[in-house]
Amino acid sequence: MKRIKSMTAKRAYPRSYANPVLTLAVAFLMLAATGSARAELLIRITEGANAAIPVAVVPFAESGTMPAGDKIGSIVRSDLTMSGQFNLLAPEKMLSLPSQRSDVYFRDWRMLGQRYLLVGQVSREGDQLRARYELFDVNREQRILGETASAPASRARSLGHHISDKVYEAITGEPGVFSTRLAYVTVAGQGEDIRYRLQVSDVDGKRSKVRLESGEPILSPAWSPDGKKLAYVSFETGKPVIFVHELATGERRKVADFRGLNSAPAWSPDGKSLLMTLSRDGNAEVYKMELASGDLTRLTHHWAIDTEGSWDHSGRGIFFTSDRSGGPQIYHMERLGGEARRITFGGRYNARPRPDANGEYVYYVHQREGEFVIARTHLDNGQESIVTRTGADESPSLSPNGRLLIYATEQDGDSVLSVVSTEGGAAYSLPAAEGEVRDPAWGPITR
Amino acid sequence: MTGHERESISTGTAPWLSGVAFSVILHGLIAVLALVGWSWSGSTPPEPQPNAISARLVSPEPKPSPVVEEQDREEQRQKERERQKREEERQEAERQRQQEEQARREAERQAEAQKQREAERQRQEAQAKERAEQKAREEEAARKKAEAEAKERERRRQEEERKRQEEARRKAEEEKRRQEEQRRKEEAERKRQAEEEAERKRREAERRLREQQLEALAEKQEQEAREAERRRREAEAARAREAQMLSESQKYQGLIRERLSQAWYPPSSATEDMTARLQITLLPTGELASVKLVNSSGNTAFDNSALGAVRSLSRYPVPDNRDTFERYFRQFTIEFNPERLR
Amino acid sequence: MKASLSPKVIALLMAAGLFAGCSSTGEKMDEESYGSDVEAIDQDGGATVYDGTDEEGGISSSAMTEEERREAREQQQQAEQEALRDITTFYFDFDTSEIKPEARDVLVAHARYLADNPRVQVRAEGHADERGSKEYNLALGERRAKAVERFLIVNGASRGQIETISYGEEKPAVRGSGEEAWAQNRRVELKFD
Repeated sequence: MKRIKSMTAKRAYPRSYANPVLTLAVAFLMLAATGSARAELLIRITEGANAAIPVAVVPFAESGTMPAGDKIGSIVRSDLTMSGQFNLLAPEKMLSLPSQRSDVYFRDWRMLGQRYLLVGQVSREGDQLRARYELFDVNREQRILGETASAPASRARSLGHHISDKVYEAITGEPGVFSTRLAYVTVAGQGEDIRYRLQVSDVDGKRSKVRLESGEPILSPAWSPDGKKLAYVSFETGKPVIFVHELATGERRKVADFRGLNSAPAWSPDGKSLLMTLSRDGNAEVYKMELASGDLTRLTHHWAIDTEGSWDHSGRGIFFTSDRSGGPQIYHMERLGGEARRITFGGRYNARPRPDANGEYVYYVHQREGEFVIARTHLDNGQESIVTRTGADESPSLSPNGRLLIYATEQDGDSVLSVVSTEGGAAYSLPAAEGEVRDPAWGPITR
Repeated sequence: MTGHERESISTGTAPWLSGVAFSVILHGLIAVLALVGWSWSGSTPPEPQPNAISARLVSPEPKPSPVVEEQDREEQRQKERERQKREEERQEAERQRQQEEQARREAERQAEAQKQREAERQRQEAQAKERAEQKAREEEAARKKAEAEAKERERRRQEEERKRQEEARRKAEEEKRRQEEQRRKEEAERKRQAEEEAERKRREAERRLREQQLEALAEKQEQEAREAERRRREAEAARAREAQMLSESQKYQGLIRERLSQAWYPPSSATEDMTARLQITLLPTGELASVKLVNSSGNTAFDNSALGAVRSLSRYPVPDNRDTFERYFRQFTIEFNPERLR
Repeated sequence: MKASLSPKVIALLMAAGLFAGCSSTGEKMDEESYGSDVEAIDQDGGATVYDGTDEEGGISSSAMTEEERREAREQQQQAEQEALRDITTFYFDFDTSEIKPEARDVLVAHARYLADNPRVQVRAEGHADERGSKEYNLALGERRAKAVERFLIVNGASRGQIETISYGEEKPAVRGSGEEAWAQNRRVELKFD
């Protein structure tokens, strides 16, 4: 075979020829190739289109009385659009509106430049909604996904998000996050009337529900790994206290009410312990509390502020913020109680680390030219890059698949939660209904 | 000889250079020489004039002091003149004295010569007598010698005669031998020539054969060369075609690569480790005849993205040249392997 | 023009240099948290300022007895201290918990008041501006509150009288963004029962 290296590869691929054995093998292949009488051509494609994938989501056919509100097809369309990875064809541009395979003319969709086509129909059977949908690869004229799913009519959105997740996974090879939830805090009113509300909603901001309301600040909501509980800090007793809140029952438990600070809760991957910042020993330090026993282990020992502990992807070490160098910077402790290694060096203010799930990056609040943005540092090479540029950005939280990042910021003077793709590009934002919205926390994928 | 003497003197030590000692010795020498000169015949070259020598050698006087007072100069000159006059007078007297001396010596010399001539005459007479005797002795010896010589000559002549006869005999034998030899040689030569002729003929035949063979060979070689040249030209043409095809193929490879890069949407789960390999078959029109996943990336979404990209091109850019198409684009492999994601 | 100015410029620069030198030394001392606070107060001595006021007060000393004079002085001091204690909010620079020099006299007055009134309780509430990380700001607010607490204790208040709390950026004094608002929000408030 004849091996022709891509001429379009301007950027060096660091791994490809780094291995001498591989290089030798390639050289041998090339030699063997030129020697053979009938060399077959090989074209190597090393770069793809730097664009969103064109997908057509045909409005689902409906039979029976549908629940009020958004239709299933629209929910899916909206979800896929929000992910930032797809370019949805507007329904008015569609040449036909098929709802099953027999109605699909692939040539039409191909002509429209579409890669994938989603068709479906929803029917109502008593209290249940039944959705039958198919996803086609337009160019291959093949069905790559087909399913019938049902849900109570009251949970039409859940059904829509479920379909979105399935479609997303079929196309990208990764689980979708459309059925996950967000927790955040809103602040409305002023003075005596000020109301702090802990809310939980779908990732699109819909179906929000207040879980706690208080005249005193609520902050730092954190999801348990099973998505059933929230830990947070509430000032309702006049001082910062950590609560664990069972979402299904509304049951709350005070887990940390020590003298001084009780803040920055973060769940361990097994959900059995919480990292927290306490100043019970006189100074803000990071501790680990076993939830069952309440046993505390102090993890940091420094006269500086140590706070915002967060488990790393291995579940064995933690990231945290410390101003031991003079200003806040991100540190990593590979083993609990071990040496802390400084991770961030760009700028004088880097705080609130949020590592991704595969140990590639850590995201954090970063001060840059007087503004606050979200940045990330590659954990292998230490390279820092800016992820958001809105200017008053804080409280970054990653989607479970690591593709999206939600953070609190301001847009045109209004407080919003903004969602961006971690690889760049704005996805969407969730404006506060009134007052302020802050402290978003992206919930886990639950099945 | 005198020169030698003088030289030895002149190179002598400083005291010898003193004028007085020098003149005394010279005078002595002159006197001896004069005596010796006169005692022999006048064959000896005349001596240089003793006068001149004496005058030259004796004359040096200590030089007057160069520093003289002005008023004393006339007086000095007067004294000098007087001194010269005295000297001249003294020299005149000396000359007279010498002339007298010379005359006296001349007389003595003539007496002596007379005596010597007498002795010479007696000696010559004795010599003549001696010479006559000698001559008689010599004549006797010559006669004896002539006799002996005559005898010797006779002996030699006989000897030579004997040698001559011997030589003639030897020569006759020699001639006979030579003729014999000559005959043998001629015989050998004839034989040799016959052989040579045969050899020549054989060689000629051989040569002709060889020439024929060479001619055939040359012809063959020429044919081969022509054939090789033809083949070379063909190969060159083929290579040129090949190169053209290759460059054309590369052009179309580039086009295909570009089209596929634009058509490929790597899924977000793609990593740099993933490689999907597809074998595709085209029609000469550039239409896709078939596609086969020959090597899966292990990620379905990734494989699908590759298959979708390959399928999405309605017509592949392919060369018009049929050979190039057949050679490269009838069937080929496409490998999807992201080098750097996003 | 330039040449004629330059000596002045140099003089100014030197003066500035001297100033900078002085002030930086002062800052350094401030930074030495605990001990330096004490030293600074001792140096102040407070009294010297008020003695001077007394002498130039224009009050005829001959017309008053020694007792009266002392009483008057005390009354005046008390009045001034009370006036000082009207100030209960102390401001900080970004990402610092250093007590500013202008806050010292006021805090000393508060400390003396607490020392004189052992039953009085006070709450030091630390705050941060809205910028940066919420949890870090909570810790920063606490550090500011504790800096004030320590200052009060050093100057006579007892530990049991003071309670600290941090609200971080949650309870700004002034809404809005911009340095003006932020500067007012980076603060410690003393709340007396």
